[in-house]
Amino acid sequence: MELSEYVQKGFQMLADPGSFDSNAFTLLLRAAFQSLLDAQADEAVLDHPDLKHIDPVVLKHCHAAAATYILEAGKHRVDKSTLSSYLEDCKFDRERIDLFCTEYQNNKNSLEILLGSISRSLPHITDVSWRLEYQIKTNQLHKMYRPAYLVTLNVENTDSGSYPEISFSCNMEQLQDLVGKLKDAEENQERHRGLWELAVLARARRRTLPFESVTHRF
Amino acid sequence: MLLDLSEEHKEHLAFLPQVDSAVVAEFGRIAVEFLRRGSNPKVYEGAARKLSVSSDTVQHGVEGLIYLLTESSKLMISELDFQDSVFVLGFSEELNKLLLQLYLDNRKEIRTILSELAPDLPSYHNLEWRLDVQLASRSLRQQIKPAVTIKLHLNQNGDHNTKVLQTDPATLLHLVQQLEQALEEMKTNHCRRVVRNIKILKSSFSWC
Repeated sequence: MELSEYVQKGFQMLADPGSFDSNAFTLLLRAAFQSLLDAQADEAVLDHPDLKHIDPVVLKHCHAAAATYILEAGKHRVDKSTLSSYLEDCKFDRERIDLFCTEYQNNKNSLEILLGSISRSLPHITDVSWRLEYQIKTNQLHKMYRPAYLVTLNVENTDSGSYPEISFSCNMEQLQDLVGKLKDAEENQERHRGLWELAVLARARRRTLPFESVTHRF
Repeated sequence: MLLDLSEEHKEHLAFLPQVDSAVVAEFGRIAVEFLRRGSNPKVYEGAARKLSVSSDTVQHGVEGLIYLLTESSKLMISELDFQDSVFVLGFSEELNKLLLQLYLDNRKEIRTILSELAPDLPSYHNLEWRLDVQLASRSLRQQIKPAVTIKLHLNQNGDHNTKVLQTDPATLLHLVQQLEQALEEMKTNHCRRVVRNIKILKSSFSWC
């Protein structure tokens, strides 16, 4: 995990009881987590009476440094010992290290969900709707008498934030083919589910921090 | 149901009895070919020279034949109705027989071609799938995130189109359940009743 000089300097200031007393440290730390995880958070998160005595430039610097470190730690899924040793290197006292680790642990799941949701991905199917019709005639062709389906896939494009729909028609045989193939995929997915769950458990055992729920990742 | 042939159409078709049946058969073949692949004016010139008539005459004859075939196929008229419709043209029995055979031999294919003219939505062609597990991304390492990647092949107006999409296992299950329900719907009493009743209507009214 490589952190810039700017972040390291900010962190070192945070460790200094002269710049931040215990209360201020706790507030700033919580503010950093809140800025990252609370969708409604804004700049007012640093507007606390017990932080007013600190130079706003220093406040912003340390807030940014803490937030950056939290994100990096979350990204690399650091364990408690890595966290502690980095904080020790930055000259944090024991009390502050414990507080940081506790706050980190409390927010770890939300952090990982947030980071996991940021990614480039293919358009994602979210739902399907269908319509069954019986075709009688068109202006080009009379006496058709055949059933037809209109299928619409609701798709979410997280990159562009758009929700295009994909619609297509098919006859009964084609729909049976489509359903057959999807069922095939679904059965294979079920068959391999045991494998992913084993892998998740194996990963969990390597970690030293207590591991909470696994299923939310899916 | 009888075909309603306009005077102009009858005039164009009047060329047919003036040539022998082999030529009419050839015109018939050209007509169907033009329906399949679009018309080619050079063919008219070649035929016109061989028959010593103007290429316009040949063109009208072939086009008249095309219209006769497409209208009959579109309405799916019976053999008897076709014969009665053509009867008014006053052709020889041999020519009438030839035209009827031309109609019966080609109507299925012509109907398929006509169905492609309908307002067209992309239609399903094929589906390929792949199971993936996301292991890491730039923002988060050490992930285990299963996903299903789908390549949907669609056809529209003869163009082949593919869309690559993804979904998660839960949504995949939901898709399968919903579409299975769609298939089941065709077997319900309601749908069977409607189909049956339309068939009954169809046989009692010729406009249907």
